[in-house]
Amino acid sequence: MKLYEYEAKKVFDRMKIPIPKQYGVIHSLKDLDKLNIDFPVMLKSMVLSGGRGKAGGIKKANDLHEAKKLSEELFKLKIKGFPVESVLAEKAVDEISALYIGVTMDPADFNNVVIASSKGGVDIETVASKTPDAILKKEIPGNDKTLPKKIAEDLSTKLVKNLSGKKSLQKEIEDVISKLYETYQKFDARLCEINPLIITSKGLVAADAKLVLDDNSLYRQVELLEMLGIKEKRHDVSERTKNELKAQTSGFPYVDLLTEDHIKDKKKLYVGLVPGGAGYGIFSIDEVKTIGKRYFQDRVIPINFMDSGGGPPQNRVADMFHLLMDNETVDIIITSRFGGISSCDVFIRGMVQAILDRFESKRRMIPIYGRMVGTDLPSARAFLEKTYAENPEAMKNVKIVVGNQKIMADVIREGIKEAFESRGWKV
Amino acid sequence: MKKLQADQGMLYYLVKSRNPKIAQKIKETGKVETIVVGLGGQGTRHAELMQQYGTTITSGIAPGKGGTRLMETIPVYDNVKDCLKKHPYIAAASIWRHYSTAKDATIEIIEAGIPLVTLISEGIPLKDVRDIIVAARKNNTMLIGGNTPGIIFPPENIKIGMLPDIFYPEETSSNSFGPKGVTIISRSGAILYHLSDALASVGIAQNAVIGVGGDGAIGSTFRELVPVVMGYKHTDLVVVAGEIGGYQEELLAEDIKNNPKKYPKPIVTLISGANAPEGKTMGHAGAIVSPGKAYGTFQSKKAALESVGIPVVNSQYDLIKEVKKKLNNKTYFDVNNYFEKMKSVWDAPPKKVGWGTLITKVEPNNLIISGYSLQDIVKQKGFLDTAFLLIEGEFPDKKSLEDIRKIAITAAKIPAPKIKRLKDEDISKTLVKYLLVDEKIAKFQGEGVNKNVEKTAFAIGRMARFLACALGNEKTLENIRDNEPFSHIIYRAITGNEKADNKKSKMIEAMITACVDHGVTPPSAQATLIASSTRAAYEVAVAHGIGAITDVHGGAGAKAAEFFDECILKSKKEKISLEVATRNLMREYIESGKRIEGMGHRIHNKDPRRDVLWNFADQTGVAGKHVELSKMVTKIFSQVRGMTLPINVDGVIGAIVADMGLDPSIAKALFIYGRTAGLSAHYFEEIMSQPRMRRINFAEAIYKGRKLRKVT
Repeated sequence: MKLYEYEAKKVFDRMKIPIPKQYGVIHSLKDLDKLNIDFPVMLKSMVLSGGRGKAGGIKKANDLHEAKKLSEELFKLKIKGFPVESVLAEKAVDEISALYIGVTMDPADFNNVVIASSKGGVDIETVASKTPDAILKKEIPGNDKTLPKKIAEDLSTKLVKNLSGKKSLQKEIEDVISKLYETYQKFDARLCEINPLIITSKGLVAADAKLVLDDNSLYRQVELLEMLGIKEKRHDVSERTKNELKAQTSGFPYVDLLTEDHIKDKKKLYVGLVPGGAGYGIFSIDEVKTIGKRYFQDRVIPINFMDSGGGPPQNRVADMFHLLMDNETVDIIITSRFGGISSCDVFIRGMVQAILDRFESKRRMIPIYGRMVGTDLPSARAFLEKTYAENPEAMKNVKIVVGNQKIMADVIREGIKEAFESRGWKV
Repeated sequence: MKKLQADQGMLYYLVKSRNPKIAQKIKETGKVETIVVGLGGQGTRHAELMQQYGTTITSGIAPGKGGTRLMETIPVYDNVKDCLKKHPYIAAASIWRHYSTAKDATIEIIEAGIPLVTLISEGIPLKDVRDIIVAARKNNTMLIGGNTPGIIFPPENIKIGMLPDIFYPEETSSNSFGPKGVTIISRSGAILYHLSDALASVGIAQNAVIGVGGDGAIGSTFRELVPVVMGYKHTDLVVVAGEIGGYQEELLAEDIKNNPKKYPKPIVTLISGANAPEGKTMGHAGAIVSPGKAYGTFQSKKAALESVGIPVVNSQYDLIKEVKKKLNNKTYFDVNNYFEKMKSVWDAPPKKVGWGTLITKVEPNNLIISGYSLQDIVKQKGFLDTAFLLIEGEFPDKKSLEDIRKIAITAAKIPAPKIKRLKDEDISKTLVKYLLVDEKIAKFQGEGVNKNVEKTAFAIGRMARFLACALGNEKTLENIRDNEPFSHIIYRAITGNEKADNKKSKMIEAMITACVDHGVTPPSAQATLIASSTRAAYEVAVAHGIGAITDVHGGAGAKAAEFFDECILKSKKEKISLEVATRNLMREYIESGKRIEGMGHRIHNKDPRRDVLWNFADQTGVAGKHVELSKMVTKIFSQVRGMTLPINVDGVIGAIVADMGLDPSIAKALFIYGRTAGLSAHYFEEIMSQPRMRRINFAEAIYKGRKLRKVT
């Protein structure tokens, strides 16, 4: 979970990492009047995304008038899809030079790594690719709670050498590095970053602060979350679509692959997926796409990711089908139930529940193609057969292969073929 | 189909790479011993599924559950140290603990030196996972996961984790499996089914499937595992199933480039996520870590792998095509057999749910206690030995026996509370009163390793005291010597004779021992089990059982003794032979609708306890007219009724009691006294191995204890 800059700075302040004076966070222009600002001031858009500077989300104002004018502009901004809803006002600091310091985990061998550079303040990725030598890296293979002194000393000495700075500066940098590492470990962070760490005439100041918490650890970071006034896990990726919100309410992971303003192409077949576990959820998108490309002139569009595995209860299964059938874009549904440990029976009952509900209330119905194998197969098969016999009209466009004589790719291909043929499209 | 020998399989190979000593043990025993760590719902359920598949589950580890049993038969320990003391050759562990406690539990296992650890738990904080990884590296542990579905070895029928039984091995003949095939290593569990399905549909076997786990940091990555599995000589090809996100696939490619010799066998990779929305979790810091490299996308992985000549597919069709190509169209089995097998697995009728007991196996004409036949036990062992056996599953060594004898003696010395026994009150009711009023048993706490036996020994001591009081023999227990055989105490309490007679004491002890248990179905055992299932106190649960012993259940001995007395009296009075007197009396009984007790049994037609007690009676010299009659009575009955109704243990005990000149009611007292040990065993077994307040179907119990063995 990403923290906003002002939140991260609260944490840094508590850990005694020097930060610029914080005047406050505003949500409207009026809020500016309440703050006691000693100009010049930095006005920073609070969005959970990098590249705010480049996007024009950070401004410096020399008086209240200018501050209001700039804030007004900021509140109109949208940075990488995030609208600016709040702005941080903090003391502007004079910069002699800027450093970069970050702590994270190396994804290669899972050691903690401290990264530092004397070329701070700019996009560090660019520095990394253009001048890799300007990046200092130290791995800490023991997952130590605090940073071994030698490493902090070593890094700070090298940084100071690059800056040809004073000895006292080295101690200060060493201190910030150690505290940043401690913050990273203490608060279960995935990433702790200061970019830039500014050297002023009076010492160091963390002009920016980035803190990403490990979602798995939030349960034990109660005090931190209380201090920051965060009540529940923040959705920090991007705004959810309507379908994604519905799925969340029903309790299953779902992602739309098309934008909400997507205009349906009448010459293409849109496929909704109820695939099983997350891994097959991702894979089945590829399968549908590949089969469409290879056999159907690339006229097939998978529309969603869904994780329907892990033994969902019957109502939730029904909701999965409802969600896709309510979506006017979707032409057919492809489903797979591999009851490894979870039950085929519960799954098929959920599906049938959705179909019969919709049939009776005359809601939108679309064909379903799928396959079912695994645990509780006999009772699931018996139930399906009985449903076919009792509700032939409602079930006429439901084709579920029982058993594994056909692999899923065949089931997908045959389903699409039938959908094409029923539309009179060339196969 | 015959499965592959454990020491030919991939798992053995993996264990050997980390711990040759344990591997050697696997070679000797043919078993790969594993433990299940964390016995919540998931751990318990999968322990059973693993065992059904063929995995050897040696024990469970769960703090606070030490001393209980998993699936009624597998010992559970509080910690891994206790486990290793008794089972030093554990090769692998699966960890199912909750994410908030998984770290300490896993590190404990790693530091104990178990070579292969599969961490199933998901949602573990990254910092904790790093601590676990650090420990694994330090201890040379092969750590798989966390957040892994586990590992499965189809030819050997072993799985550690939750992968279902869908992976099909090589067939070497019409009735045996072989070790060859492809090895699948995957980041996702759900996708494995579809990979395996695709490969099996064209006859390609899987000799091992490894889920590396889906978390941000994991114990073993592709780069570490692929070379290891390639070292197993029967792996022909490795399928690597990756997906978007992370860095593993790129690192694998890099390693293949830098160390091609580590990769002597073909690899086919399947990467999913080519059409997934831009990786949302991919951040900024990662990119800095490896300067100048973009990674984590489908394209970056595909490019990296293809640059070192590894094919990358992302459809089932292409997977089949590439694997077949690399294997030159080799097949490993008849595809129909695979379909047949899966059909039989999925179409199998739901398993009958039974429950297990390790105590007593009841079969016609045989009673087996923990593997020993009861007649042998009666012949060779005493009552306290047998109580120990009932509860611990083994006979005590000398020291343990002496320990419990002392406890029983101590308990017998303590005066009993004042209880009034009404005239004609059933002895069982009187004993229940003592049990419930006396607080000594409740207060007694065993101190040694065998706490449950100690409690039972204490109760046996107390019961001797209660019996003496109920029978008006309390005086005989005034001077108990510390070094006295416990059988003497029993003798005095029962007979009221101050001076113990060795032979007669032995006779009484044998009768008591013959009554110790008859499985879970007698009403007394059922009553105790029901009380135990609600976790009633020990003495309350035992009192429930004893309260159920009446004239109807367990009281036949007394009635038989009375009948035999009557026969003997009749023969004397009417001066006719005992046989004729008995025949006549039987006719009278039957005509007036009275039952003849001590004959017939719902299971045995030759009661296993009969001959051993008759022999005892002959050897100790107590056998008289009553015993003589008890030997004839079956024949006489058939002359009267034309059918066979064999004498049972109650009848034999009734006869011996009568020959010893004791009151007939003593027969029931002996029965109750013996059964105290069996009821105790059922109490402890229930609380150790069954969930609370379960619904008990007594007819469904299955004996899961030791196989038949000889008393030595």
